Amino acid sequence: MDNPFLPPDMPLGLTQAILARTSGSTCQRLKDLACAYVDGALEVGQQSLGRGHLEICPSCAALVKALALSETTLPSLVHLNPGPWFTQRVLRATVHRTEQPSLWWKLMHRPRIALEAAYLGAAAGLMGSYLPLPMPHLTARVPAMVQPLGASVQRVVGQVVQAERRTSNTLQRGLVPKPAPMARVPSRSLWQRLTARIRSRLQAFHKAPSQPKAGEKSPKPGNP
Amino acid sequence: MDFPQRLDLVRCGDELAWEAFVRFFQGRVFGLAYHYTAQAEDARDLTQDVFVRIYQNLALVPDEGGCLPWIIRITRNACIDHLRRRKARPPLWDLPADELFGLRASDPNPEEAHLAAVRKSMVHRALQELTDLNREIILLKEIQGLGIEEIATILEVPVGTVKSRSNRARLELAEKLVAAGMGG
Repeated sequence: MDNPFLPPDMPLGLTQAILARTSGSTCQRLKDLACAYVDGALEVGQQSLGRGHLEICPSCAALVKALALSETTLPSLVHLNPGPWFTQRVLRATVHRTEQPSLWWKLMHRPRIALEAAYLGAAAGLMGSYLPLPMPHLTARVPAMVQPLGASVQRVVGQVVQAERRTSNTLQRGLVPKPAPMARVPSRSLWQRLTARIRSRLQAFHKAPSQPKAGEKSPKPGNP
Repeated sequence: MDFPQRLDLVRCGDELAWEAFVRFFQGRVFGLAYHYTAQAEDARDLTQDVFVRIYQNLALVPDEGGCLPWIIRITRNACIDHLRRRKARPPLWDLPADELFGLRASDPNPEEAHLAAVRKSMVHRALQELTDLNREIILLKEIQGLGIEEIATILEVPVGTVKSRSNRARLELAEKLVAAGMGG
């Protein structure tokens, strides 16, 4: 309508045929200018030329219309409503989160704490059962649960057999023997045995006369 | 009370000022997260995480001019982390959810409200079909209204790239809308 280069009665097919034989399709040119056309940033002459192309090209007209619609719709997408109770949810997650529970509380309320405690207990029991104790004098204090099972069974069986034997002897004699006080033999630790041995060696070394070796001469008495 | 005064109150620990701050920014943060994730529930969770992060770093919140780009940058980073995690382990219900726009009923005319909601839904779907950089440029420039320099800083690309990509992104979006039947 406003295109100065086209008479009003010019058929569109003829225009397109002429363009196809001369400059080719002008749609790409309009596509380059479409954003500026929608923004109104083109000069008056170019704006008029673009409007003329849009009158005869439905695909470019649809593109420019979609561009204009998106320009009006996009700014309205900046604020979206997250829901009626969303602010309360955020406030619960922020303001009430300032009182943080202690590290010990969080550690104890982990979901796997029971499993981990059971695992550690089992591991400690196994280690106590099968590893030799570093200090022998502690052996008497260790509970029977951590002693080797086989040794415990053997000891119990031995004690039972001895008790049966004593009982049968007592019954045969018809007397109840007085329980003999158990003589406590002081057990010597490894360190005590080692120091005693070293001490005896040292005593033997000091008692023995020093003999010169075969190839050496006897040392001359030096000057005082 | 202007924005810097409110921000000072928020920094001092005033809970009412913090609530006003949340109300002021929650729609924007949620909208950005929704356009990134295309899942309303994920966007709500991300928005909550963003506000928790802001609350824990209130001393770092810039003043009025830099506050919005700072919040948008935090939201974008949270969304990208979320998308990476979702790409590594996609959920079973990874389908577009359109229930969001039905929540808005503030428009006076029901017919216009419906048309606007349909238009927004189409634009949102077309945005999901764009390339990542074009979508981010549209989100930050056309929707959030940031400047070219701020977008270049956030996206870590040259200013010229943002300028040249801006019109191309708008055209790509328009072509997607035409393909969806909006421009006809």
